[in-house]
Amino acid sequence: MKNWFKSGSPWVWLSAGGVSISLISVLGLLLLIASRGLSYFWPAQIVQFNLLDEHGVNSVVIGEIYDRERIPAEQLAHTKINLSAEQETVERLLIKTGNRELVSLDFRWLLVPQITEQSTPSNLVVIERRSNGNFYGVIESLVLAGENVELSKLPVLLERVEHFQDQIEALLKKDIGAINYQLERLRLKERKHNLDGTLTDALSKSFLEDVNRLKAQYGQLEEKLMALRQEIARDQLTVRAMDGQIVTLNFEDILAVTFNNKLTIFDKVLLFFSQIGGFIMDDPREANTEGGVFPAIFGTVLMVLLMTVIVSPFGVVAAIYLHEYAGNNALTKLLRIAVINLAGVPSIVYGVFGLGFFVYMVGGSLDQLFYSETLPSPTFGTPGVMWSAITLAILTLPVVIVSTEEGLSRIPSAMRHGSLALGATKAETLWRIILPIASPAIMTGIILAIARAAGEVAPLMLVGVVKMAPNLPLDGNFPFLHLDRKFMHLGFHIYDVGFQSPNVEAARPLVYATALLLITIIVALNMTAVSIRNKLREKYKMLEH
Amino acid sequence: MITVTPNALSNSPNKMDLTNMTPEQIALDIKGLNLHYGNKQALQDITMSIPKGQVTAFIGPSGCGKSTLLRCINRMNDLVDICKITGEINLHGENIYGRHVDVAALRRKVGMVFQRPNPFPKSIYENVVYGVRIGGENNRRKLDDIVEKSLKSAALWNEVKDRLHESALGLSGGQQQRLVIARAIAIEPEVLLLDEPTSALDPISTLTIEELINDLKKQFTVVIVTHNMQQAARVSDQTAFMYMGDLIEYSDTNTLFTTPTKKKTEDYITGRYG
Repeated sequence: MKNWFKSGSPWVWLSAGGVSISLISVLGLLLLIASRGLSYFWPAQIVQFNLLDEHGVNSVVIGEIYDRERIPAEQLAHTKINLSAEQETVERLLIKTGNRELVSLDFRWLLVPQITEQSTPSNLVVIERRSNGNFYGVIESLVLAGENVELSKLPVLLERVEHFQDQIEALLKKDIGAINYQLERLRLKERKHNLDGTLTDALSKSFLEDVNRLKAQYGQLEEKLMALRQEIARDQLTVRAMDGQIVTLNFEDILAVTFNNKLTIFDKVLLFFSQIGGFIMDDPREANTEGGVFPAIFGTVLMVLLMTVIVSPFGVVAAIYLHEYAGNNALTKLLRIAVINLAGVPSIVYGVFGLGFFVYMVGGSLDQLFYSETLPSPTFGTPGVMWSAITLAILTLPVVIVSTEEGLSRIPSAMRHGSLALGATKAETLWRIILPIASPAIMTGIILAIARAAGEVAPLMLVGVVKMAPNLPLDGNFPFLHLDRKFMHLGFHIYDVGFQSPNVEAARPLVYATALLLITIIVALNMTAVSIRNKLREKYKMLEH
Repeated sequence: MITVTPNALSNSPNKMDLTNMTPEQIALDIKGLNLHYGNKQALQDITMSIPKGQVTAFIGPSGCGKSTLLRCINRMNDLVDICKITGEINLHGENIYGRHVDVAALRRKVGMVFQRPNPFPKSIYENVVYGVRIGGENNRRKLDDIVEKSLKSAALWNEVKDRLHESALGLSGGQQQRLVIARAIAIEPEVLLLDEPTSALDPISTLTIEELINDLKKQFTVVIVTHNMQQAARVSDQTAFMYMGDLIEYSDTNTLFTTPTKKKTEDYITGRYG
């Protein structure tokens, strides 16, 4: 035993154990998030339950089984449910019943002993809608322009509606959006002239002409829009809910109709991937509890890229100054300690700083100087994607500085001397020799910065993230990149959907799915940076002395 | 075993009177040079003239100041913060420690090759043209010419002409050192300083470099530091023996190795210490 201790193997086992536990935790975490997140997209069976409750009333419940759990029997003692004496626990199921406009809650617990029959009839259908969530029930009839037609026409009609919906969306977002944007710019231009006192009659006349021209265009587009809407409103679908109510659904409202119980495994796989695609590519609906997260993905990536663009030059330049030019004295040491300590400041503090300094002070001054025509409504004097990127850049600056400095100090002095001896100045040596060799270290700093920034949420809540942004920060209207706009962020989306949502049960799988997406995006950003770094490393690999 | 001795002791071609040269014959004129590292004096009142177009060797035991003196000639010691230098080194009658000297321009006139080969992590081609590009020349054809000429002068052309655009780090140690010499002569300096250029190399590479040094003196004034007395005897025309920061003896190689005038020199070259 003593020898065993002396040999050092206990320490090897201890270290190996530590590594294994860490690995297992990471894998477990990923596995949990992946399984919970991905199962959200898998088309579930729609089950019909026949119930006999404690009052002897029969009823029917239709829905998807969402969750199941066992509860102690005592918990049900006060109800009149008949349980055999030896039963200590009772199983219950959480059913997603949908039909939010008909029943107050779209989730319901069913006690297994009360279920008299459970079946999966193939005529049950799940209808994904634009509002009020899913509808579960049976299709009664399909009404085409006031006349009943065969059900087989449904896919054709759905496709037709989708086609019109796409047109409407394009019209709203692109054409009408552009006109609104131009009108707003005209208004601001006029106001600016007004404020400057340079508004002549001729000018205001030309403005008026422009406005009228745009309004005429707007009118035409609106007519087109109305025509499209009418086309869509032509058809209806009549459906029967689980309690026997007949409901008429407008096609305008319907996104997809799926007979889940008829699907083959192949159909299910197809549907699974198309659901994932929709989640990634679509805009959110119904207070973010339905639909996709595209604006949040876009916002996250854009903000991180902006942050990288800002933090890299500043961090590198600061590190070069500290390492190459600053004298080796107490002040430099103090600066270095300060930089390292900056990394330890809680991120919310950066958020407060960003709000107070960037948004209110810098942004407010910018508005006064350059955007006075829009005041009192602020342009840059309000949280936005630029301020978020800058705040996170400051947050991640220490990381870039420290790893760049480390990279600089690893370069053998022979390289510097070789370059200096050839008549290069210090600046030329830095630019042509030192920086390229240090570039992998700089990339390491940027990788760490990206990893930190992409996962940061708390400061963003103060400086630019919102629950729902009407427009992306990048669009087709000049100047294309709108740095003053607020944006959506996956991290905040998780918080919002999971904890601020009116419908917690519906949102829960979305939280996992969004978390999985966030991890995927951070890993993707990091892998890109790592592959760039590896290329640089290969290119500038150092002589092994 | 090294058999080739280009400058065998007996037939040193240009014997010169080192104390009595015309200004045209002098490449470097060192006068009363003192150097302190902090409180420690590393060079004491060095005065010597290095003749043009010849190979001058500095020898002496470790820590005698021979490398320090060499680094003074192209002001590499400027990089050491605690280093203080007084005295003069004149290049074309102009003190390189004068007030308005452009150090980068000086280093273009006085090239240097270090103890360990230090090629940049770039291609062979880019290594050679590095100094030329710094000088502002970017014409592709001219650069090509310079690369070929320099590599030929450094006796490396035949080995690398087919892989000029591959990384210089793929070369062997001896090839790297010749590449570094090619890099130094590409900017056509007047003086070439070699700081123990073969101490990190194997005997075969050492031989190649020594032959190269003999060729180089046709174009450049060469100053070489070596701890290897045989090497100094083989390659140099003049030899300076230094000890503890003092220049003990400086004369043509033949005389210094056969009939040293100072006791310390004799002790050193006969291997009694060092």
